[in-house]
Amino acid sequence: MKIGRRSFLSFIIGGAAGTALSPLAWKSMDDSSIWSQNWPWTPVPADGEVSHVNSVCTLCPGGCGITVRKVDDRAVKIEGMKGHPVNDGGVCILGLSALQLLYGPTRVKAPLKRVGERGEEKWQEISWSEAVAEVAAKLGDLRSKGKSHTVCSILDSDKGTVPYLFGRLLTVYGSPNFIRTPSIQDSYELAINLMHGVQASAGFDVEHADFVLSFGSGLIDGWGSPVRMFKANSNWKDSGSKVVQIEPRLSNTAAKSDKWIPINPGTEVALAMGLAHVIIKESLYDSDFVNNYSSGFDKFKQLVLDKYNPDNVAQITGVDSSALVSLARNFAHASKPLAVCGRGQGKTQGSLDEFIAVHALNALVGNINSEGGVWAVPDPDYIKWPEVEMDSVAAVGMQKERIDGAGSETYPYARYLLNRFSGVVNSEEESPVNALFVAGANPLYTISDSKAVKEAFSKIPFVVSFSSYMDETAKNADLILPNHVFLERYEDVPMPVGLQKHVIGLSRPVVKPQFNTKHVGDVIILIAKALGGRIADAFPWDNYEACLEETLGDKWESIVENGFWSDPDFKVPASEEAFNTPSGKFEFIPANLKSPLDFSPVTIEGSDISYPLILVPYDSMRLANGFIGNPPFITKTVEDTVLKGKDVFVEINPKTAEEIGLIEGRYVDIRTPRGKAKVRVHLFDGIMPGIVALPRGLGHTAYDKYIAGKGINFNELIGPVEDPVSGFDAAWGIRARLTKV
Amino acid sequence: MDSALMSRGVKRCPTWQFILWLCLFGGVLLWGVYAILLIWLKGLNQTNMNDNYGFALWIWADLGVIALGGGAFFTGFLKYVVGKDDLKNIINYAVIIGFICYSSALLILAIDVGQPLRSWFIFWHANVHSMLTEVAFCLSCYFAVLTIEFIPLILENRQIDKVPFFHNLSHNMHKVMAVFAATGAFLSFFHQGSLGGTPSVLFGRPFSYREGLLIWPWTFFLFTWSAAAYGPCFTLFVTRITEKVTKKKLVKQNTIDLLAKISGWMIATYIIAKIIDTWYWATVTAPSKGFAFMDFYSNNPLYGIWILVLEIVVCGIVPAIILLTPKGRNNSVALFIAVTLGCIGVLLNRWVMVLQVVAMPVMTFDKWVMYIPSWQEVATTILPVAYGIIVLMITYRYLPIFPQEQELNPNP
Amino acid sequence: MKKEVKNEKAKKYGMVIDLDKCTGCGACMVACMSENNVPFKEDESNKLDSIAWMRVYKLTNGKPFPEADICYLPRPCMHCEGHNGHAPCVSVCPATATDYNHETGIVSQIYTRCFGCRYCMVACPYHARYFNWWDPVWPEGMEKYLNPDVSPRMRGVVEKCSFCFHRYQTAMNKAYVEGRRKLEEDEYQTSCAQACPADAITFGDLNDPAHAVHQIAKPDLKHGGRSSNPNAFRLLERLGTNPKVYYLSSREWVRRAGDNYLKKDKTVKKLH
Ligand SMILES: Nc1nc2c(c(=O)[nH]1)N[C@H]1C(S)=C(S)[C@@H](COP(=O)(O)OP(=O)(O)OC[C@H]3O[C@@H](n4cnc5c(=O)[nH]c(N)nc54)[C@H](O)[C@@H]3O)O[C@H]1N2
Ligand SMILES: Nc1nc2c(c(=O)[nH]1)N[C@H]1C(S)=C(S)[C@@H](COP(=O)(O)OP(=O)(O)OC[C@H]3O[C@@H](n4cnc5c(=O)[nH]c(N)nc54)[C@H](O)[C@@H]3O)O[C@H]1N2
Ligand code: SF4
Ligand code: SF4
Ligand code: SF4
Ligand code: SF4
Ligand code: SF4
Ligand SMILES: [Mo]
Repeated sequence: MKIGRRSFLSFIIGGAAGTALSPLAWKSMDDSSIWSQNWPWTPVPADGEVSHVNSVCTLCPGGCGITVRKVDDRAVKIEGMKGHPVNDGGVCILGLSALQLLYGPTRVKAPLKRVGERGEEKWQEISWSEAVAEVAAKLGDLRSKGKSHTVCSILDSDKGTVPYLFGRLLTVYGSPNFIRTPSIQDSYELAINLMHGVQASAGFDVEHADFVLSFGSGLIDGWGSPVRMFKANSNWKDSGSKVVQIEPRLSNTAAKSDKWIPINPGTEVALAMGLAHVIIKESLYDSDFVNNYSSGFDKFKQLVLDKYNPDNVAQITGVDSSALVSLARNFAHASKPLAVCGRGQGKTQGSLDEFIAVHALNALVGNINSEGGVWAVPDPDYIKWPEVEMDSVAAVGMQKERIDGAGSETYPYARYLLNRFSGVVNSEEESPVNALFVAGANPLYTISDSKAVKEAFSKIPFVVSFSSYMDETAKNADLILPNHVFLERYEDVPMPVGLQKHVIGLSRPVVKPQFNTKHVGDVIILIAKALGGRIADAFPWDNYEACLEETLGDKWESIVENGFWSDPDFKVPASEEAFNTPSGKFEFIPANLKSPLDFSPVTIEGSDISYPLILVPYDSMRLANGFIGNPPFITKTVEDTVLKGKDVFVEINPKTAEEIGLIEGRYVDIRTPRGKAKVRVHLFDGIMPGIVALPRGLGHTAYDKYIAGKGINFNELIGPVEDPVSGFDAAWGIRARLTKV
Repeated sequence: MDSALMSRGVKRCPTWQFILWLCLFGGVLLWGVYAILLIWLKGLNQTNMNDNYGFALWIWADLGVIALGGGAFFTGFLKYVVGKDDLKNIINYAVIIGFICYSSALLILAIDVGQPLRSWFIFWHANVHSMLTEVAFCLSCYFAVLTIEFIPLILENRQIDKVPFFHNLSHNMHKVMAVFAATGAFLSFFHQGSLGGTPSVLFGRPFSYREGLLIWPWTFFLFTWSAAAYGPCFTLFVTRITEKVTKKKLVKQNTIDLLAKISGWMIATYIIAKIIDTWYWATVTAPSKGFAFMDFYSNNPLYGIWILVLEIVVCGIVPAIILLTPKGRNNSVALFIAVTLGCIGVLLNRWVMVLQVVAMPVMTFDKWVMYIPSWQEVATTILPVAYGIIVLMITYRYLPIFPQEQELNPNP
Repeated sequence: MKKEVKNEKAKKYGMVIDLDKCTGCGACMVACMSENNVPFKEDESNKLDSIAWMRVYKLTNGKPFPEADICYLPRPCMHCEGHNGHAPCVSVCPATATDYNHETGIVSQIYTRCFGCRYCMVACPYHARYFNWWDPVWPEGMEKYLNPDVSPRMRGVVEKCSFCFHRYQTAMNKAYVEGRRKLEEDEYQTSCAQACPADAITFGDLNDPAHAVHQIAKPDLKHGGRSSNPNAFRLLERLGTNPKVYYLSSREWVRRAGDNYLKKDKTVKKLH
């Protein structure tokens, strides 16, 4: 065979053309690329009809209105509700992530009964009727033995129908032990109670303040109702209002403030008194308010002038006395100054002195119950159920002293003292608590000195969790009766924290319950009915929804329509009628207080010799640190200088680091009198030398792989320090030591 | 037994020895294949690349082998277009080395992209503004040309040549080879250039960005130039190694000398151009974007000014001087050092133009990011080396690659 | 009808982010993730392979205690216009998988066309582009929240902020049905702008004098869109990327951190 030039070329061209024309190669190329665009393991979300449902977020006490976008029966996106009095369209990172909680792997999918050891996570699914029967049998048994008062409930709130149902059940059953989880709410309520003589929450008219003096409050780190505070902060920027932030660490709030004044940690109370000193000495105070509507001023003045001159205060706080003087003048000269306190997100109660001192500052500049000031806001009284009729067992039980000692001889002012709970339980051979209900709370994670809390829980014979998620408390319970999550249930959400108006939001079922869960309100009603007698009589409703509708009465229609109800006529009384103290006036030094206040900073645990450093917590919007474990989306936003792999970083000043010989990223053991953990260091110029800061919200041991096992829980390293007057947990930090590993 | 496949009159190592080595490099190759399968099945998470290192070891390897493979087009260009006929004694080897380099480059690209099954979109949805489009077109065309240049060589195998069809095919192909070589050279100018353009059109990356002529940044020309300059170094380097391994002289000194001399001139002129380019970039381009020259070489654990000195002085000026002096060319040690330095120089240049570009922070609040390739990346990068050696072993054993071999090594 | 559309001035959607207001809360990041079906892994602490179309950077002034200062800077895709639509990333994509839309000024990304060469990532100086190193996996049940308007991406392709382009399409469809050609400012808002609890993000048409973004950014079209607001700046303006995201800050050190300057250089605002 001989090939000429021509045939060679035709061979080449023919071969090429033949290959190109054969569809096989092209078709398979095309098919394979199409296949790669439709991999069966990449989900394709189904399309459908779009609708929107207005509801309320309950993931924090902020009370934001939300609008949930749905596609058919799936909730696909949470947005802030436009026109809502709290958040007007804004929404926080946690609220945005709620669908990951709703659909997440961490849900408890049915009532569970423990079959293994506590915490071993061996469960048996039971029916709701079995579950209710079990609880009722236990309660009936305790009651018949005259131990009704050893039943205890821990809830995140004492406002709204669900907490009221719990309270009602305990009352008619015969136990005084309703406990609300601690926060600065407690301190503010007590300060107002003592100084105003009324039971009310603190409302802050932040929108109208033009000079905000914050004693370590994380105004934009999650303090108060977070979205509302962000909005207020932006308004301050637009209107030129000034913010002064006092704290030892450059928090986001400090960074955004007009002036950051670092202070020796824990000495805010002294600074507040120093400011009062200048204001009084220079007669910069509001004489109308002080002269006409207050009492005890002279005594207060004497105390302040004697003990808190700027030089003394500078000594204590580390704040330059001239800075102090000019701050006092600026504050007093502002037209609507506002002082707030409660560190970080306000999750620890703090010392009563501090709240009284700061509230006194507000009183000095006359911004109590006035525009741009602090308001004493009573709860909206829409829950008007008939008085319960107690039988003799209940009456006896209700006479018993509370487990936590609140309201007792020693702690006459406090209403709830969860911080004392584990101490009391652990101090007795036999647990004084025989049954514990936990709802909307996760004390095994959120209460300080976790080891002690865990020990206490292990002594309690019967623990029931109502949690929707497998959190630390649920994991260590005997029975889990999972509540619907807020996107599956009706619930009234009254009084967003820190708000100076009356707003009641309504959570409503955006989607139908995803699992075999039950509304906690329904479960309470069922338990009551199962217990029978007077107890059953106290719960005349068929179910929770009926109860809620009846309770809201004529508000029901509008609250369903709008998603919230607000009282346009709400006002706080004028100063003439505002105070219900013995003097009928605002009391600088509360007459009702039996022990005198000394306004000195709280000493924290640990000796400065074995623990040369001070450990303080810090809060971040990017770490949900209370109510709930951080959903995966939020954890994704956490910086790699906070969490890297499973390791958490503590912040430390480069100078301090150099003294100890630490470099960025170094592993260290952190030790406090309460515990020890391995962490890494992050050098941060924004923190005062000598201080170590650890974020809250990490170190979960429960939930799922997206949440658990990352970092450490601050509460394992700190313990409570009891405020001598209130009994609240006044700890703001703990002494600590770092050692290289 | 396999001696029947070998050319007449040449001596090759015993079969067992050949197979032993084949197995050794075959093992390395299989290791690479395993890594490739992992990457294709599990995805690019098998690498240590990340969002900062979108281009990493592989892209460097690609640019590197293509530059080293430049010996093929430039030798072809010199022989067929310029008419340096002496180079016929080394052109076969240059073509095979080029083929190995380019096929490796294509293989690496197929591993490197996230969706290899869609790679053809580059042709179907071509974006004429993209340097990578230009690269893809020219690279595939040039690879086809290299294959066509390689085929007649294969056909010259003693047994294949016995088949009249293949014999004639080979004959005909040889006749048109000049056309292919010229086409190849032309394509090569472009894809080497567009590879140079690839980092330098990135106006968001001041380290690699270069101004230029028309649509081409200066590095377009510099890359072609450097491939032409250093590619022959690699041809000479591999030839020299082959001679060492086979313990035979395979190419006459006059051919080596000619290629070395041309390479020397190319390196010398290239380095001058490179220095001017660097100077202009350091004093005009970079400052206009807010960067001081030393910003590119400080505050990081690796990229110091030493790298520039190494590239320009040690791996540029030094080999140029050696290759331009007859004494240097004739001293086999000096010559080997020069071509080795040349290869290192061009690889270093490609490294900084890929890796330093992405390592360097551009936003003021970014940080330098360092990276260490995963074993999967290393294995797939070493794979072409094993593959290349195997191809060279086989082709050397069974094909008449070196026309002067018999003459230089008369059978005892 | 065609004529009408043609006569209408091209839109140029852009953003102004007020860094004085931004609190660094990260809500914009999550608003984006949940709107755009961004996947997540068990460990997201390696920020070099963690997909976040919107990323909030923490800037520091580098001074010691107590002069230290921090500022947060949210970084979506800048939707660079470059010169005449030649964004750094668009001009390099060999497969035209990312494109500059001259009608809206939005830089698109076609996941099903992208073949994952990552050249665009190398080209983008803002690290706004993210590669899917892994198959996206949602824990069982969680795929229920996926938004059908945005397709989840497969492994091996690049993704980035789209200015929530699907919202533009939805709004335009609605407008067309109602016989309108023009969108009101609030009809098309991005998920991040809508969510931001601090109202730090403003979004709209930079070409429309009635839109807030235009009024705040005051783009000077004769100078490549540079802002004439003394507090406004764009990131890496000197590179010629011509971004459509503007930042506001009253602090000089923050404005200076927005671009690279030689010691002798003045911050861009003062250059002319
Ligand atoms: N995203 C989100 N938001 C929430 C919640 C949530 O779970 N998630 N929870 C809500 C709840 S329940 C509450 S009660 C509120 C409370 O909200 P916050 O009042 O904000 O909470 P803290 O935990 O007290 O504060 C820690 C801060 O105080 C500073 N600090 C620590 N020690 C000292 C010190 O000695 N002196 C000074 N000056 N500062 C110090 C630290 O720097 C840190 O910034 O937040 C609500 N907001
Ligand atoms: N580490 C740390 N500890 C703290 C604080 C802190 O900030 N950090 N803050 C302190 C403060 S201020 C407080 S208020 C307390 C908070 O203390 P807790 O109230 O005990 O803490 P949360 O984690 O808010 O508990 C909420 C639990 O309820 C479950 N849950 C979620 N949604 C629902 C629901 O709709 N219904 C029901 N029944 N359960 C639900 C969740 O599983 C979650 O575990 O913690 C205190 N301790
Ligand atoms: S601030 Fe609180 S209530 Fe508002 S969206 Fe966030 S978690 Fe929900
Ligand atoms: S949501 Fe707003 S305030 Fe929060 S980080 Fe984003 S831009 Fe800043
Ligand atoms: S920011 Fe990056 S990805 Fe976005 S348009 Fe500009 S270059 Fe492209
Ligand atoms: S990775 Fe995708 S979008 Fe980017 S350049 Fe390559 S093909 Fe284009
Ligand atoms: S504009 Fe849309 S896609 Fe872009 S960052 Fe914001 S939410 Fe994400
Ligand atoms: Mo709280």
